[in-house]
Amino acid sequence: MSSLKRTSLIRRAGLYCFGPIPVLFTVLFAMVSTLHAQEGFKTETSSGVTNIRIAVADFKPLSTDPQTASLKTTFDATLYSDLANAGIFDIVSKSLLPQSTPGSPADISLQQWAAPPSSAAMVAFGSFAIQSDKIVCSGYLFDAKNLQYPQVLAKQYTDVVTEDAARQIAHRFADEIIFRLSGGSQGIAETKIYYVKIAGPDKEIWEMDYDGANQHAITHLGTVSLSPRIAPDNSRLAFSSLGRDGFQIRMYSLILGRMVNFSSTGGTNLSPAWAPNGKDLAFSSSRTGDPEIWITDVNGSLARRITSFRGPDVSPVFNPRTGSQIAWISGRTGLPQLYIMDTDGSAVQRMTDGGYATSPSWSPNGQFLAFAWDRKYGPGAPGGQDIYVMEIATKRWIQLTHDTGRCDFPSWSPDGRHIVYANTADGKAAHMKIWTMLADGTQKRALTGAGGDMPNWSWK
Amino acid sequence: MVSSLPLPPTQRTLDTGVLTSEAPSPAPVISKERTEPPPSPKEIAIPEKITKPIKTADKPTPTPPKHVQPVTPPPTKAVTGETAGIRIAQATMELKNGTASVSVEDRTFGERFAYYVNIVNSKVAQNWYTAEADPKASLGKSTTIVFDINREGVPENVRVETRSGSPTLDLSAMRAVQRVDGFGPLPQGNRITVEYTFHLHPQ
Repeated sequence: MSSLKRTSLIRRAGLYCFGPIPVLFTVLFAMVSTLHAQEGFKTETSSGVTNIRIAVADFKPLSTDPQTASLKTTFDATLYSDLANAGIFDIVSKSLLPQSTPGSPADISLQQWAAPPSSAAMVAFGSFAIQSDKIVCSGYLFDAKNLQYPQVLAKQYTDVVTEDAARQIAHRFADEIIFRLSGGSQGIAETKIYYVKIAGPDKEIWEMDYDGANQHAITHLGTVSLSPRIAPDNSRLAFSSLGRDGFQIRMYSLILGRMVNFSSTGGTNLSPAWAPNGKDLAFSSSRTGDPEIWITDVNGSLARRITSFRGPDVSPVFNPRTGSQIAWISGRTGLPQLYIMDTDGSAVQRMTDGGYATSPSWSPNGQFLAFAWDRKYGPGAPGGQDIYVMEIATKRWIQLTHDTGRCDFPSWSPDGRHIVYANTADGKAAHMKIWTMLADGTQKRALTGAGGDMPNWSWK
Repeated sequence: MVSSLPLPPTQRTLDTGVLTSEAPSPAPVISKERTEPPPSPKEIAIPEKITKPIKTADKPTPTPPKHVQPVTPPPTKAVTGETAGIRIAQATMELKNGTASVSVEDRTFGERFAYYVNIVNSKVAQNWYTAEADPKASLGKSTTIVFDINREGVPENVRVETRSGSPTLDLSAMRAVQRVDGFGPLPQGNRITVEYTFHLHPQ
């Protein structure tokens, strides 16, 4: 019933381990049918925990429609990359999978998948067909080690026959799997990223899926639009746009598909930020001559000023967990630094102790701030601008990017496990690309080609 | 601090050490373009005399005699205890399922939703910082923690069932459970009780 397993403390990058004490643990599972007249189980552990090893089978085509093959290829690739990008699985390489493509629970031989070389703990499989101008897709998630009751998840999806629908089905199924196996945290496969697309002299707001697919324009204003911020309910997009009166906050309704009213004021208005309740908008406005943080409602009325120091105050961002705090960048002591305060302007606290800090983003659980920081700014000690994450309670920070050129505009994913940011390897603004990484700085990859800037991850 | 990011770590440690390099990224270097001076006539090397390489005959490798590979019979017993932590748990459960004493009618939560037990197992294990337990007093000891999981998957009523005799080990085990935000909604039922035993073994 029990078995021994040797593990040793693994030295993680950037961290010093606590003494090289290797530990040896016994892992033992036992069941009790009733405990305190309740259902329960007994478990024993542990450590040296590995991630769940998941195998994703190619889905079985069940129709002879000529489109099936190409849509199924899109579906398979999307599902695989969604699970690989989730950051919580060990995914089995497709070359190690068994040759069979099971289409239904009756077809699958789980021992085959649980055995080496695939050694999967979980298997995702299913069938994909086009029936009467609809995609009909059945997806299953099976526990490869529990032969008696293997089924964890069974889903059926029906949608129109398009490339985009096939991708969306894969995203939805991937999110279901992530929800079950991650311990209740929602997946991000259905989320969007809004960003600035540099096209010649103009900058327009664009949208893409979280994996960089489906890039398309939202605005066609023919001017310079900056810092898109999506509303918490995905209904509106606030951004700052250069018009007749200088930079003003503009509002685009994604439901109506057109611009909606937002009162313009004097001065330069930049970097809007949505409150998590979706009713307030904070932004930087220089209507009094000095850039300060203002909060208005979603129509631009009921404006109130919450900072009043000399020196620029820009880039506000609400605490998404509570909505009662704002982090922002202030130049009141010279170089721009990161600060936090309550939404009424009280309890101001400085977070960075030097350098040149810009573009904060608050993590969804309220625990961290991601921001761009040049720790050795100025002549004599030049440094590069990189992405950092700071734990607010302790003000301890870690550096996520290093020596890859100028990095800016970090934005957290809604699950708090990913960060999207803009990076330019050679320092030229026109070569800015959007990248994504896990929140510990691993698994970096580019989402766009040159000309993508200022990404903002949707709230859900 | 990395360990408090919501990503699965391999083994958590107390991270009071140095977190990152003190050296920030270097500033981008912009070097001026320089014109290469023309080569002086002496710099052009006089070509060496071409000599033919010595050829050596290939040695023929003898072909190994063909043997008939012995066919190993498939194992008649369930394979256990040869894989990583997560598999052991499941293999153990397979063993349990395989015994004749467990009938289908008498199924329990752990057998039906083995994947959920595994999530509980790995989530708590990920959050157990073994460095919190004093190694002198705790090595070789084990403590049992009992807690309930409610409908939303949140652990409640965490208490020590069996003390190990090392207060730091008991506390580290308690904290491991308390650190978990949730295991995901229960697949069945409103509440289950979990008994979790932590061992700290010397090597």
